[in-house]
Parts: sequence; C-alpha cells; structure tokens
Amino acid sequence: MTLALYGYSQKQVVDSLKEVLENHQGKLNSLDERVLVNEADLGKLNKIKVSGYVQAQWESYGADLEKSNGYSNTYYIRRARVKFTYEAADGVKFVLQPDLSTGNLALKDAYAVVNLPKLKNLTLWAGQMNRPDYEVEYSSSSREVLERSRVVRAIYPGEREVGVKLEYIGVKIPIKFQLMAMNGNFTGTQQKDVDSRKDLMARLVYSIKLPAAGIGIDLGPNVYYGGNLSKTNKYFKNSNGTLDSLKSAWTYLDKNWIGAEAQIYADVLGGLAIKGEYMAGVNSTPSSVAASATRAQMIASPSLYNNFSGYYVYFVKNIGPKNQFVAKYDYYDPNTKLSGDAAGGSLYYKTWTLAWQYYLNDNIRITLNYEMPKNETNASNPTDKKDNTLGVRIQAKF
Amino acid sequence: MKNFKSLTIMLVIVLMASATGFSQAKITVKGSDTMVILAQRWAELYMKSNSQVTIQVTGGGSGVGITALINGTTDICNASRPMKQTEIEKLKGRYNTLGVEIPCAKDGVTIFLNDANKVNELTLKQISDIYTGKIKNWKELGGNDAEIRLYGRENSSGTYTYLHDEVVKDDYASTVQSLPGTAAVVNAVKKDVNGIGYGGAAYAVGVKYAKVKKDANATGYVPSAETIGKGQYPITRYLYMYLRNRPTGETKKYVDWILSPAGQAVVTEVGYFPYK
Repeated sequence: MTLALYGYSQKQVVDSLKEVLENHQGKLNSLDERVLVNEADLGKLNKIKVSGYVQAQWESYGADLEKSNGYSNTYYIRRARVKFTYEAADGVKFVLQPDLSTGNLALKDAYAVVNLPKLKNLTLWAGQMNRPDYEVEYSSSSREVLERSRVVRAIYPGEREVGVKLEYIGVKIPIKFQLMAMNGNFTGTQQKDVDSRKDLMARLVYSIKLPAAGIGIDLGPNVYYGGNLSKTNKYFKNSNGTLDSLKSAWTYLDKNWIGAEAQIYADVLGGLAIKGEYMAGVNSTPSSVAASATRAQMIASPSLYNNFSGYYVYFVKNIGPKNQFVAKYDYYDPNTKLSGDAAGGSLYYKTWTLAWQYYLNDNIRITLNYEMPKNETNASNPTDKKDNTLGVRIQAKF
Repeated sequence: MKNFKSLTIMLVIVLMASATGFSQAKITVKGSDTMVILAQRWAELYMKSNSQVTIQVTGGGSGVGITALINGTTDICNASRPMKQTEIEKLKGRYNTLGVEIPCAKDGVTIFLNDANKVNELTLKQISDIYTGKIKNWKELGGNDAEIRLYGRENSSGTYTYLHDEVVKDDYASTVQSLPGTAAVVNAVKKDVNGIGYGGAAYAVGVKYAKVKKDANATGYVPSAETIGKGQYPITRYLYMYLRNRPTGETKKYVDWILSPAGQAVVTEVGYFPYK
C-alpha cells in the first residue's frame, strides 16, 4: 500500500515536472520566435545607414575681402550634411543627402545605384550626384584644405549634376571608368534642363601598385563634351575679346575640355601624397539678355566663349597618426588668350594654401588653413588684391 | 615670402624627424573572428619570449578590424578577406597610404554539418542554393525530409563576405541566423541535426566537415594541409594582416616572427595552414 502510494506520488512529481518542462519549452520556443522576428526587423534597419558631418568655421579676411564683405571675420557653418543610404538588396542602393547649413537648405545628393545583372563590376547611377572628377568626388569631409581649387569651382559649379552614370571598377585590371550623361547646366536649384542637348563626361583611372616600395599611383585622362544654348542672343565675345556672331540665336556654344589627373601615395615615414590635375579647353556662358532686346542691348550683353586652363597640386604629409601637413598650389586662367590690360576682369589666379589638420579622434578634425591667392595685375587691377583668408574649422563627423 | 618659405620648410623637417620617434611597445590587433584564436596564440607565445612587448588581441570581424585600422584604433588588422577598394580609398584619404597587406596563413572555409546528417558532400552550386534559400529541404540533397536550418555570420565578418563573393554570389536568405563568431556557428550546428554552418577550419569540433566539390562531376574534398596545399579544396583563402604603414620597430619584429617558421608552426598547431 505504502509502495503503491509512493509510486503514485512519484508519478505525480514526474508528471508535474514534465508539465513544467513543457511549459518552459513552450516559453523558449516563443522566445526563439520573438528573437527571429526581432532579428528580421534589425536586419531591415541594418540596411539603413545614416552618416554626416558638421563643419563649424571661423574665417578672417584680408582688407579687400573685408571691404567687399563688410566684415573682417566671421563664424559660420560651412556644411551640415546628413547622408542616408539604404541598401535595398545586394547591389541596389539609394542615397539621399541634404545640406542643412544656416540659410542653405539644399538637396546635395539624391541617386540610386544598381549593379547591372551579370556584370558585377558595372554599376548604373541615376539622379543628382557628383560629376566624375577627382577633386569633385573627394568628399569635403576628407579634403585636406577648406575649399576646392578655383578651376574646379569654376567649371563644375556646385559639384553636382542631374543625369545617369555608368561606372566600371575592374578587378583583374585595376581601372575605374566613369561615363556620365547629364543636363549640363545644373547649379543646384533648377529641377529640369534648360536646353535639349545633354553633356557627356568620361573619366578613366588606372591604378599602379608597387607594394614593395610602398607606392601607389592612380592616373588617367578625363574629358567633358557639352554645350550651352544661346537662346536669345546671336552675339558673343570670343577668347580674343572681340565681338563675333553666330548665324542666329538658338545655337549651342561649345563647352569642351580635356584633363589629366595623377595621385601618388608613398609610405615614407608615414603616408605622403602628391595629387594633381590639369584641365584645359573652352567654356561658355550664354547671354541672359531678353529675346526682345535691341541689337545694341544684345551687343552690350553678349554670350562669352573663353579658352581656359587650370591645375592644382597637393602635397600632403601625415605626421604620426593624428597630424597632417598640407601645401597646395592651384592656378586658374579663365581666358588664356588674353593677358594684361586686354584681360580686363578675366584675371588669372595663382593660389598657395597651407593647412594643418589635427585628428582629435575618429570623429573630430580641426583644420588650420591659410589661403593666399595672387591675381594677375593690369590697368583695372594694378595690385595684388588683399584677399588672403585664414580659416579654422572644427569638423564633427559621425 | 622668403621667410615664410623658410619657416614652412623648417616646420616640415622638424615634424618629419619627430615622426620617426614613435615607439610601439604596445601592439593592438583587431579584426577577424576566424583568426582570433590564431592571433591570441601568436601573441601569447611572442610575449613569453619578448616581455617588453604587450600585444592586445580582440575580434569583432574583419570589417570591424578594417574600420579600426582606418580610424587609427588598432595597429594591426586581421582579416579573413582582402580589403575592398572602397576601404583602400578610405585609407588613402585618411593616411595617404594604400595599407600593407601581409598574407600570414591559409584557411579552407569549412561547411559544418551535424554528425547525424546523412549528407556528406556538397557542390559549390548547392552551397549557394542552400544559402540563398533555393534549396530548403535536406531531402533535395539526399538527406532526411527536414527543413534546412541556416547558420552564418554577421555582415562585419570576413568569412560572411568571402563566402558571399566567392560562392553564394547573391543575397543570403533572410532565414540565415547570424551568429557572433565561428564558435557560435559550430555550437549551433552541433545542437541542430538539420543545421548547416560555415567558418574557419580551426573551429570544427563536434561537427563534421562537408566534402566540397567544384561541380557535380568533380571529386569532393575536406580542407586539410594536403588539399589546401595542392589547391584541391575549392574554398581556399588567405588570411591577412593589414597595417597602415610598413611596419617598423617592435611591430616589424612581431610580423617577421609570425612569418618565420616559429610563427607558421603556430598556424598548423591551431588548425590552419601555412601561407607558403
């Protein structure tokens, strides 16, 4: 009897334990499911990347800039960018980057990138993006001096364009090839093109690596082929400064140039880079005179058609892991055919820039930058303008 | 202007000279989880005979290590995949170097199966189809009628990227459970009769290796010194160390030791294969 009762009691204990175990197993299974759901949700969030940077700056200007600005120095926010990248699937990416700096809410980048099926290294880009040029594509958050070169700012205003781009990055052959078709007149505000012709730009970069010597060289040519429609005015001023005329208005003025770039990286007591680019060709600016203007008014405001050339050279030396010294020289002549008094306001500029970077940590960079432009002198501009600029920038990047 | 030029030249000379004086008595190593046990063993042995040097080893994945190298928070990055062009560009942008790539061992990316699994052999195409979710049941591969449970690594892992780029070549299925480290993958497959995982060869304890074939007509191989040495195992890769600059001082001595017969003996002891 006692044994039977003991056996019964044991069975009850075992049954009760089984029940508890099953209960816990159920709870574990439910937790497992919840973890899987959470993992799936987290996986979706992982596809979104948010990065950005803020550049707070102080600048002090030379006397001539002080006169034209009305102040000798200022604090300001140079850039405040947030970049959203969504990797929808393998090889499909969307990028949106507004600039939120004071009084300058602007859409900088808005494009999609798609890996073309079966062509793993070929991507198609569509939307608003950087033009394919080394200094244009080199992010402002990484650039070693505060501003891009004068020639680059002149021929690629606002850096961005709206269009489509094919980009091929070789694996066995170390090349990068970019071909972009774009509206060609984008300055950051207009939604659509202002004429029918699309501009083309191509860039090829070949990379040479000499690992034993710690040297890497990227070099290659680039070309721009486009035009500006002179809608209202058949008169234009050519490179020689003389007035000329097209057969009629509604004709395209050339906007063509070629360039070459080289970047040399060397491991000499820490990193060292010498980077440069040269470009030359013709650029045009269509007249903004009204179609109803008189001949005299048209002649007074002709389109402009100029041969130009420009180049820049950076010397960058890393000093230990946190410091960097930079010397840069850039040259831009907006009209190579005219010089001296004949050049009028189209003066060439030779600019030295010296800069020092201090990387406080992974996110913060402090830059001390001194820019010394030297302009061509002539009767209208008899002396070098006092337009040197001292800048201090603190950049926070995330 | 003359004074200014002289001042600039002096400044550059002084700073370049000062750059040579950095000492590296502490070496930090970060990156590939596949290489963690190897890197720890190297560090332990090296520190025993070089007490003036402290070597700190952490994992996190190849991607984490490369990011740390770019951010300047590690001296050496271990990676189970080559650096991507975009990563080299970041290194160029920040340090003006291409980085220094040092192959230091070889590994066969191993496909782990539970001991009780009837399937023993897989082609590269089958592995791809399994991890993209096209093959969902072991029955399709001659095994039990059971759903395949996929275990893998997080996307910061070099092994994740390597398998994706070289074998899977498409999006991983959303049903892959991402685990933090090869040991966790092995553990999951050990407990799950219908599980499959991948990782470095050195971690395969308590699970079996799947023989891997290039295609249906080829011979299947498991990773071994012989099959990897002869190039027979189809998913063979180098394991790398990356540095920002050419190593100097204590870092150079440590790297040289790793590449020496003594360092390469550790590679074999841990379960990987010498780089030569």
